[in-house]
Amino acid sequence: MLKQIFAPFGRTNKQIFIGLAISQAILALVLWHIGSNGLIPKPLNVVNAFINLLTSKNLIDNLLISFMLTLKAMGISILITLFLAYLSVIPFFKTIALFVVKCRYLTLTGLIFIFTLLTKDGSALKLSLLIFGIVPFFVTSFLSVILTIDSQQFEICETLGFSKWETLYEVIIVGKADQVVEIIRQNMAIAWLMITMVEGLSMSEGGLGTMLIKFNKYNDITNVLAVQLMIFIIGLLLDLILGNLKYWLFPYSKLQIQQ
Amino acid sequence: MTNYTKKDVLLKVEQVSLAYGDKQILRDVNFEIRDIVRTGVQQGQVVSLIGRSGIGKTQLFKILSGLNQPTSGKVKLGNGSLIKAGDMGVVFQNYYLFEWRTIYQSLEMSAKKNPALKESQIKNEINKYADDFQLTEHLSKYPQQLSGGQRQRVSIIQQLLKGSSFILFDEPFSGLDIIVLEKVVNLIHQVSLSDELKTLIIVSHDIETSLSLSDTVFILANEDGKSGATIKKEIDLCAEGIAWNPDIKHLAAFKEIVAEIKGSI
Repeated sequence: MLKQIFAPFGRTNKQIFIGLAISQAILALVLWHIGSNGLIPKPLNVVNAFINLLTSKNLIDNLLISFMLTLKAMGISILITLFLAYLSVIPFFKTIALFVVKCRYLTLTGLIFIFTLLTKDGSALKLSLLIFGIVPFFVTSFLSVILTIDSQQFEICETLGFSKWETLYEVIIVGKADQVVEIIRQNMAIAWLMITMVEGLSMSEGGLGTMLIKFNKYNDITNVLAVQLMIFIIGLLLDLILGNLKYWLFPYSKLQIQQ
Repeated sequence: MTNYTKKDVLLKVEQVSLAYGDKQILRDVNFEIRDIVRTGVQQGQVVSLIGRSGIGKTQLFKILSGLNQPTSGKVKLGNGSLIKAGDMGVVFQNYYLFEWRTIYQSLEMSAKKNPALKESQIKNEINKYADDFQLTEHLSKYPQQLSGGQRQRVSIIQQLLKGSSFILFDEPFSGLDIIVLEKVVNLIHQVSLSDELKTLIIVSHDIETSLSLSDTVFILANEDGKSGATIKKEIDLCAEGIAWNPDIKHLAAFKEIVAEIKGSI
């Protein structure tokens, strides 16, 4: 068994995998506990702070603010992405889609002032920055899905007498619908990462980002890590929900993985 | 010998050439397929295009299906119109299907493209073919849940439901074991009997199996000193008196023709 764990492409069953993950987590926590000094809080302190946060109304309110903002930004970003990606097969829109892909190299920090001028309040500023940050990554992921479509998928449409629009609908819109959920799942992390950054730009509305900045300001590392733990747990839950949603909506995607 | 006559031209390939830059793939490919009428038998045409691997069969296959355009030359239907994608049914070598559609949905999409089928007839037609091809219990499944043989049958029904008179098969016998091979041969034969004008074109490097099913064979090969494959020989198995014979593989004439083809490709 030990040989399998360390061998390239080694095969392990589910029990061994879970056991491995738990033992590695315990080891990391022990090392953290031993290695932490006065500045870095011990794991138990973080857990206690996390429990305290859970029972405070402050966390729930801030969490809901961040969550709603993320969902709103994700929703609009998905619509923009699908519009650009689906139409990227039309030359006129392809150039725009490719430009958006390159926009992922732009830093948000350098555009804050421009966005401040363009938006009416802090809420709109946060939302627009989030969308601007998310869309290029979404479009990049979805275009790569479109570019790697097997040419036979288009050929079968041609041989069945499909028009170009019918082919677009069948192969890209319907055929890649499961990939949209997968892309959302993968890129949700980016949105979740950015939310804490943009929330610092307009702190009056609160949010997890605001909480983090405030705790950091007072060097309250224990609570910073407790909020991070909350962010991490929510991220994992979102990942799990979206993963299952994909299999529930598109059962064939599970069959493809099994194959 | 069975009585037969060759009537109207169903497909005409004229001077088809294909080159990629300096590389000549196909050169002056010419052949035609005629409607063969047998007395007292309803049967379509089965034509084989045989050539060794890498000779350009797939390129010719794509030109015949209208998926690719030749560098020069034309492929015309019997009515004189140039072939375009969608005119021919195509069964790809890997039996490609829409992986996100159930078998029923895939077949329904094809049937909806058939102008001869009314909306109200589609369900019955699908069920009839599914029954004929032993696929009824698989209609609600996804392609990934089917075996290779079942996928092939779905691919064929898909093209039959679309209503094309022509069906092109790309290497239908490739990589099959002897039992499955026999089933595929029977299946193709069954399809050829479905309509007088049904024309099946088999593109293959499997000489014996293709020959056993065909009425006409075209050999695609290079000629000495010339680049690009062309139709080197046409073998009319009806004229040879061995077409449509269930025991064709045991005939001496069949063995001679196989040996002759092997020597020329």
